[in-house]
Amino acid sequence: MSLAVELGQSLFYVLVFPGFAFLFGYALVAEYADRKLYARLQNRVGPPAVQPFADFLKLLSKESIVPEDAEGTIFEAAPIVALAGVLTPILYVPIWSVEAVFAFQGDLIVVLFLLTIPSFALIFGGWHSRNAFGQVGTVRTLTQLFGYEIPFFLACLAPAVAAGTWSVSGIASFVGTRPLYIPVFAIGFAVALLSLQAKLERIPFDVPEAETELVTGPLVEYSGRKLALFRLTKDVELVVGAALLSALFLGGPYPAGAIADVGSTAGAVIGFGVFLVKTLAIVFVLTVLRAVLARLRIEQLVSVFYLWLVPLALIQLAVVGVVGTTEVIP
Amino acid sequence: MGKLLEWARSASPWILHLNCGSCNGCDIETLDSLMPRYDLERFGVLKKDTPRHADVLVCTGPVTRQMEPRLERIYEQMPEPKLVVAAGSCAASGGVFQDCYSCHDGVDEVIPVDMYVPGCPISPEALIDGLVRLLEESGEGGKASRLRERSEGIFEDSDAPAGVIDDEHVADT
Ligand code: SF4
Repeated sequence: MSLAVELGQSLFYVLVFPGFAFLFGYALVAEYADRKLYARLQNRVGPPAVQPFADFLKLLSKESIVPEDAEGTIFEAAPIVALAGVLTPILYVPIWSVEAVFAFQGDLIVVLFLLTIPSFALIFGGWHSRNAFGQVGTVRTLTQLFGYEIPFFLACLAPAVAAGTWSVSGIASFVGTRPLYIPVFAIGFAVALLSLQAKLERIPFDVPEAETELVTGPLVEYSGRKLALFRLTKDVELVVGAALLSALFLGGPYPAGAIADVGSTAGAVIGFGVFLVKTLAIVFVLTVLRAVLARLRIEQLVSVFYLWLVPLALIQLAVVGVVGTTEVIP
Repeated sequence: MGKLLEWARSASPWILHLNCGSCNGCDIETLDSLMPRYDLERFGVLKKDTPRHADVLVCTGPVTRQMEPRLERIYEQMPEPKLVVAAGSCAASGGVFQDCYSCHDGVDEVIPVDMYVPGCPISPEALIDGLVRLLEESGEGGKASRLRERSEGIFEDSDAPAGVIDDEHVADT
């Protein structure tokens, strides 16, 4: 393959599919699904399908204020950094085939690292807005970060240990070809789902936003296109987080591999369909959690993560160890 | 592109609800319109908590003297383009608080108002009607009268009276 072709292909991956353009569209679809389902669960009609797009466009066209006291550069850079941080990991998560587009040994660590960037961007942006509400919200974001990251990492460790690889694609094909492992990972999956919910700062873990007392926390001073980028970041993070969980715990594009040859076009189409079904199912679960639970206080949140989810994640690792050494699953 | 932006603006009005000394009747009705029975989210309306995120300021009450600087401040904090709805008889004219020593006679003595929603208290239907009409109008290239007058600099001085209430800007009850 000539250099030009390879470069063009890489650019296509980054900018169109599965990179920017696809993620942008899919994130808006996911936001719509999330808001519509949330409204239906509350017995409301809910927004029309184009609503997320209209919101995004309107915010882009509005005035974007930088407060006088704010640290201008950091305040303006934060949303861009956050968006870049969540757009990148999709390149390492398998979507339509067993291999992700830029898979390499150890990409799981890169993905987990990149997924923490939006939280840090939010922390820097919120803190440097120099708004009292923003700063209190930032402190809570930070407290919450230490709560959910550890169980999230531990939970993601379980499939990696079972598969004996640090590559997301490798783990997906390991779990996909041995579907009996999916129930083994049940505890880890639950822990990862709850941690993802906290990462996204959604109810019941939306203490940093807490609109009744902190008027949306770190985002309080953001307006116009900077707010639009932060909202898009949240949506993309939802999609990418769901894609990561589906690859790690549910076997990614499998069982498409069993139906058609994964390398072929038919296999790719079926694999992509399976990807959509699995990610939307995860979004569905997260929405139901958001609709049926009430917000925790910050200290309750920390104790939920340290007293319940961390031990559960450790139990999951032990279960994986036992299953692996006794070789009950071929 | 202009058409698309106009559509986006009128399809996604986020409101900030501000109590400027109302008796709470209008506030309950405003929140009522966001509840399942009326569900303003059908029209893309979301209730926002900070003026920085909002497009439409829904004010209730006659504006007490205590509230006046705060109302001005919050109005200034909202990013352009912004619209103001005076919800309830008090917000439109002072209502039962007219000539009260501690109150203004309506929101338009403090900030420019784009739409008056009458009623004591307003009914959710009236508020929805007011919002929809306001958005129809502001969608047409920002033709709401306030926007026109703003560009002519009439409201540079916040002491200036903010236009008269004409039929065109009063929602049906
Ligand atoms: S208009 Fe009536 S209900 Fe509304 S704030 Fe005034 S007195 Fe209360």
